[in-house]
Amino acid sequence: MKWLIVGAHLRREDIEPLAAAITAGDLFLSGVEVADDQPLGDRELLLRVARTRAELLERATFVAIRYGFAIHGESEALAQCGAHLPRWRALLEEHRDAVEMTLKVAATEPRARPDRREFASGAAYLRALHESVSAAAVSEEFSLAAEKTMDGAQRRWTHRDGRSLELAALVGREDMPRVQERGKQLKRAFPDVPFLLSGPWPLEVFASEEG
Amino acid sequence: MPENEDELSLLETIDHLLDRGVVIAGEAIISIGDVDLLYLGLNVVLANVDAVTRVSRKR
Repeated sequence: MKWLIVGAHLRREDIEPLAAAITAGDLFLSGVEVADDQPLGDRELLLRVARTRAELLERATFVAIRYGFAIHGESEALAQCGAHLPRWRALLEEHRDAVEMTLKVAATEPRARPDRREFASGAAYLRALHESVSAAAVSEEFSLAAEKTMDGAQRRWTHRDGRSLELAALVGREDMPRVQERGKQLKRAFPDVPFLLSGPWPLEVFASEEG
Repeated sequence: MPENEDELSLLETIDHLLDRGVVIAGEAIISIGDVDLLYLGLNVVLANVDAVTRVSRKR
């Protein structure tokens, strides 16, 4: 048996009995138990982990771990995560009452994904891919309005792909209804701009090393 | 494309599960694989979820 890790949490009681709590230094990792030979791409497992993730977030904010990280016990947890623990603790203590919300918007001028077959080397292809992704943009008018929608929180724009950008924001749990209401106002103000406001999410963008 | 809010919500949830959060193991491999493999994997998964939600709505 192994545990597929969902996130890092401050307290054991934020996890149990929704998932297994695996000690990692002075934090706890939430784990979904799976058989050693179970493929992680299994659809039912993916949906089970997604449900557990949502239930855990209802309890308390946690640092999200990308799907696919599995361990067999506490010593492995510490070996793999030890270097991250001080930073995770600081994030969890600072943002305990906040969640992430994201506003994904289609780029005004989508950039075509480069064709791998047109490049002699993988490095040249990666550079072209990065350039096509980072060139995607939205109108300044919409981006300012979107930032106002997420008002009062830390915000960060990310290029998701050549066709869309995403604005992530840290929002107080009590402010979520207000942000959602402002999202409806944004839709009325920009009826022709395809965007999706979603959340709450655990600490994902703001838990990355760039954060 | 998603056909209703529930479906959209499910797709968004799966997207966040697979493509957000701290990467711990095999970071170098995943960041290179991200270009092709992770996107491909995500598309395959989304197709399956899409099929599941369609079937479940028909029942």
